[in-house]
Amino acid sequence: MDKALPASAWTLASLAGFTLFWAVIAAALASPVLPGPEAVFQAFLHEVRIGNYWYSMGVTLLRVIAAFTIAMAIGSAIGIALGRSAWAERAFGGWLSLFLNLPALVTIILCYVWFGLTEVAAITAVAVNKIPNVAVTMREGARMLSRDLGEMAGVYRLSWGESMRHVILPQLAPYFAVSARNGLALVWKIVLVVELLGRSNGVGFQLHTNFQLFDVAAILAYAIGFILIVQFIELGILGPWEAYTKRWRR
Amino acid sequence: MSGLRVDLRQKSFGGVPVLGEVTFALAPGEIAALLGPSGCGKTTLLAMIAGLDSDYTGRIEPPGGPVAMVFQTPRLLPWRRLVDNIAIAAKVPVAEARALLEAVGLGASADMFPEKTSLGMQRRAALARALAIKPALVLMDEPLVSLDTANAELMRDLIRSQLARSGATALITTHDRVEALTLADRVLELDGVPAELVRDRTSPLGRDERQSPGSVAALHQRWFGSKDPGPDSKLTGGLK
Repeated sequence: MDKALPASAWTLASLAGFTLFWAVIAAALASPVLPGPEAVFQAFLHEVRIGNYWYSMGVTLLRVIAAFTIAMAIGSAIGIALGRSAWAERAFGGWLSLFLNLPALVTIILCYVWFGLTEVAAITAVAVNKIPNVAVTMREGARMLSRDLGEMAGVYRLSWGESMRHVILPQLAPYFAVSARNGLALVWKIVLVVELLGRSNGVGFQLHTNFQLFDVAAILAYAIGFILIVQFIELGILGPWEAYTKRWRR
Repeated sequence: MSGLRVDLRQKSFGGVPVLGEVTFALAPGEIAALLGPSGCGKTTLLAMIAGLDSDYTGRIEPPGGPVAMVFQTPRLLPWRRLVDNIAIAAKVPVAEARALLEAVGLGASADMFPEKTSLGMQRRAALARALAIKPALVLMDEPLVSLDTANAELMRDLIRSQLARSGATALITTHDRVEALTLADRVLELDGVPAELVRDRTSPLGRDERQSPGSVAALHQRWFGSKDPGPDSKLTGGLK
């Protein structure tokens, strides 16, 4: 029997338990401040009918993908450079600490002030928030690169490209996977804030609008929908990819 | 043309000399053992010859062709199958890499990842990888260390046969006298602090004779004054 089955069954049972708990509390309070699961489902159907739901989800998802891709690419390059070069670490390591401690909200406001309320500013703000986290993780990975395998690559005259493909990148894959998983969780949350502050579409904008209307059911309908999408990416794409990169382990 | 020429004056780590004068030359196709106690600098010398360490005084002239190294830890890429390890290092098609693995008895394991094989199998794959690049010089760092007797004997026989087939010059480090006498045409001994080349002897035994335990035992007696190969020898059985 599949060993994973009981675990997933437990997860489903646990989520069902939470939904029940939520329904009981909502029924007991009987307040629009905490609508029950059924009211949230009705709000979801309404948003779908008027054409807001999937459009907003799609717009936000595109921003998440753009910011995530940029942050992973630039953060990885910076992290690898800092991990491999003592000079680069001395010169720019301090910058990394600075950006790591810069509050996300400050970055978002500065980007909007400098670049205007534009798409470029929104995506830049999200990417700039995530780049330092990716860089730190990848720097650790680059520091842990095996010297033994580096020497082997030297003796067997592997080219730069061959070394990257067969020696360096496979060693960095677990760090990249950790960055990607943490990054996804962080990026989508920041995208919502960015949309709330300066965009006229997307889930963040819808949350802002429904907040002004005090429509908690719609807010929860968007939040749950987005959680499900991000979980799908996490479990359906990143998880299997990470497992693939580890298939050689004993 | 020389198989290898070493004229080392000194090698230091942090200002402390670890190797002193080591001067020798190997003829093309010659198999030499570099014998010395553990920690005397044999691996360091091999790394210098392989071009991994250029911080020394003196001169090392490897042959013109490719130099391969069989490291003490096999240093296979753990995320690539055995066959891919050979194909990547030697830049040969997978089919050719598979044939090379078959030559060292690993045909059936070619598609396995290194971590799922034994140390003995990894060592054999590392030997196949070294010979796959058709080297002019093969450097082997304690190729039999940490193997049980059966695997050590299998590996020794493979080293003999594969080196004979390739015709490459070889320098094999070992702390095991029997291993040195069984494998090498010539035995170079390092000793002292810093270690220097204290003896350079050519074996009177031909390559076929070295397969006879009796002949090796007699030479051991003559050179080292004892038939006892010492407790560390993996090949003790070969002298009995």
